[in-house]
Amino acid sequence: MDPAAQALDQSFSGASDDFPALLRRRGLLAAVPTAGSVTANSAWVPTEATTILAFKFQGGVLVAGDRRATAGNTVVFDRADKVLEIDRHSIMAIAGVPATAWEMARVLEHSFQFFRRTQLQEMSVDGKVRALSKLLRDNFGFVLQGVGVVVPIFATYDSGADPSARLYFYDAMGAQFEVTDYAATGSGSPAVRGILFYENTWGKKPLLKLTEDEAVTVALRALDTAAESDTATGGVDRNAKIFPVIKIVCRDGITTLPEKRIAALFKRSVA
Amino acid sequence: MIEEPYRWVEAIANRAEYIETQLAAGSPIVAVGYRDGILFLTLGPARQKLFEIYDRIAMGAIGHPGDIERLRMAAIELASTEGFTRSAADVSLRRLAHYSLSPLLKTAFEQVYGAPYLARLLFAEIGAKQEGDLFLRLDYDGAIATNSASFGQTRQDFGVLSGTRQSTELMENFLRAEHSTGATFDRALKIALDAWTVGHLALGDGGVKELPARDKILAARKERLRGAGIEAALLERSDKIAIRYRALTEAEIRAPLGD
Repeated sequence: MDPAAQALDQSFSGASDDFPALLRRRGLLAAVPTAGSVTANSAWVPTEATTILAFKFQGGVLVAGDRRATAGNTVVFDRADKVLEIDRHSIMAIAGVPATAWEMARVLEHSFQFFRRTQLQEMSVDGKVRALSKLLRDNFGFVLQGVGVVVPIFATYDSGADPSARLYFYDAMGAQFEVTDYAATGSGSPAVRGILFYENTWGKKPLLKLTEDEAVTVALRALDTAAESDTATGGVDRNAKIFPVIKIVCRDGITTLPEKRIAALFKRSVA
Repeated sequence: MIEEPYRWVEAIANRAEYIETQLAAGSPIVAVGYRDGILFLTLGPARQKLFEIYDRIAMGAIGHPGDIERLRMAAIELASTEGFTRSAADVSLRRLAHYSLSPLLKTAFEQVYGAPYLARLLFAEIGAKQEGDLFLRLDYDGAIATNSASFGQTRQDFGVLSGTRQSTELMENFLRAEHSTGATFDRALKIALDAWTVGHLALGDGGVKELPARDKILAARKERLRGAGIEAALLERSDKIAIRYRALTEAEIRAPLGD
């Protein structure tokens, strides 16, 4: 039976299926490994070699990520984009195995659109947050096998009853945590978390009160600090002029900061 | 009895007649291409009749809601899986209609022991330029009518859908005469509304057989607009964002009309 006919046969259940289920039905998404089929790899060391940070400021949520991709000790790519736009108001920033993370972002992006198109309404923010959680949970079999760990940050703008910017971080099993001020993930995150805590508590003003320029400055300084001790974080490459990816989520949508602007701010208040 | 070829032909003819009767009252749907996109429009719908299928594809439908729903869902599933496994650029209306939906509709229509789809669909796909816009009508028996140039027919920048053949043809005649490539949004909106009015006037046994005079169309349009809600959607040509479909609000439609 051709795929189209299959979609229209007796077992057709379009509206109740979410997009990952549809992909599985078509054999386009790896089946979830069951507990029995997974043998924990004792030699496994979590590899989340990168630094991602996000915090709320005056103009919404700022999400920043360095550009380095590593495999063990080797730098494989110095222009990776780990801050991914999922829809007009949502960003997923990833630390972890790129193959799994990018695929996850793709599934997520299509899930939101598939929901809107089939159900004729936008998915709620809670629904979106949960969808990512479910993808992580489904992926955990692979994590246990030592491949495919992903630890993302999710930033979005909720234009519902109480319009506000929302920020979440996840663990590899899919637990989601909503944060009030900031979140960081990846191998460089301890340093970044220290800086953000310090800035927020004893800085000139709390993160939430920062202007856009000040927020970008804090993000650049934090990433550069992380790169100082963490080899897996690219920070700012002064020679090759490679700057982190910085995106801002607000009511009107997502803005990607142009490299020129980041470079100017870097020159003025970081370098 | 269906085993005899003659009986089969008779059964098919009966079922076509039955479906035509069911669809005959369907409110027309008009899609016109203009400079900045494609405008989909219909009037007085009790339920939603215009839908987003994929980034660059929209659909309008008349018929039984259950059947429309199954076809709409199939189209979205096919487009979404293709867009996911390959890329959004690989999702094409031509392939969707010719290779998947048309064979499906034909099979359901001809298997006389099963139920056919009581639905007629109008699709449009926005191109990078106006020459690339595709309008495609899919009938309950899988027949496809497109806007592309063929022998004896020049390329059209519109597509229409209605309950009866007479209404469809009058709307097409009207648009062929009145609609021009490169129209502005305001102009396209007025033309689309007039075309809808022509199609509406031609419905039913007492419907008009010839194109009504301009003032008659305008009067009927004004009268209709007073009582009925307008449903309209755009496929925008601007490639700033990937998703080109956008439903228009009633205010956005009424403002440029001024009536």
